[in-house]
Amino acid sequence: MAEYSWEAQSPLRKAFAPGRLGLASGDAGVAMTEISDFNLVQVMARRGLVANVAKAAKKAWGVLPPERPGAAVGKGATLIWTGPDQFFVLSVGNGPDPVSPLAAIFDGMASLSDQSGGRCLIRLSGARVRDALAKVSSIDLHDAVFPVGAAAATSIDHTGVNLWRRSDAANGSPVYSLLVFTSFADSLWHTLADAAAEYGVEATRTPLS
Amino acid sequence: MRIACPFCGERELGEFTYLGDAAPKRPSAFAADGAEQPDAQDLFFDYVYLRDNIAGDMDERWYHGGGCRSWLTVTRNTTTHEIKAVGAAPGAGAQKPAKAGATS
Repeated sequence: MAEYSWEAQSPLRKAFAPGRLGLASGDAGVAMTEISDFNLVQVMARRGLVANVAKAAKKAWGVLPPERPGAAVGKGATLIWTGPDQFFVLSVGNGPDPVSPLAAIFDGMASLSDQSGGRCLIRLSGARVRDALAKVSSIDLHDAVFPVGAAAATSIDHTGVNLWRRSDAANGSPVYSLLVFTSFADSLWHTLADAAAEYGVEATRTPLS
Repeated sequence: MRIACPFCGERELGEFTYLGDAAPKRPSAFAADGAEQPDAQDLFFDYVYLRDNIAGDMDERWYHGGGCRSWLTVTRNTTTHEIKAVGAAPGAGAQKPAKAGATS
């Protein structure tokens, strides 16, 4: 039997161009970063077992899964709300089997689905990131309604995304993370880069840390 | 038009898909004693094809496919598009719906 060696490829292999895009003078107003090497598992609590799932998650990562749109940063994983009684578990790694460890944690209480290769993770930050996102998203990203830890399952450019806000960058600018289906990633990257071009874009890649 | 998803908050119409009237209930082909319902064909014809053309408040099913992917029941005035209530459709996912209309 033939042996296959699967090599992970970036879903942005068409759209991604490293370095400076758009406005070339001054500091880049928006930093767009493709984040690689992550494990992503969808957890859906089985009917009536949502409290048990929350307890198991708290035991595993020290935080409760968000009951409302939000992202909880726990020890070793970030839990991102995706819908009622369901959330993503995002963690560092690129192992062949991200589900088994979670199957042990949620032992029959939840349905699990590996999305590691199914989504592209994009991080957006910079002084003008909110202006760029305002052009393509109808979500109000003002500090008062979308603080650190807020999340939304929404559509950008007719494409379903999971958007959440991480801790602010060292320079005080907000940082947003965005998960999109890999097959739409190139297209969404173009849309975001177009929206941010007038502020200057710095495009980079980095593994999740 | 905007719909306040009970899980996500207020969102634009483009995130939602319309199914239609929430009123029709699937009839049973059998009576309580297990015998075949004599008018089952008529009942199913009504259930599948016949709809009231309501001018005024109507309960409708909407799908939040561009967001949390929940089925919702929306009470909408078909002449003014005023939305009076939004809730989770019965049996849809969540154990208990979150508070309606909250912003995210």
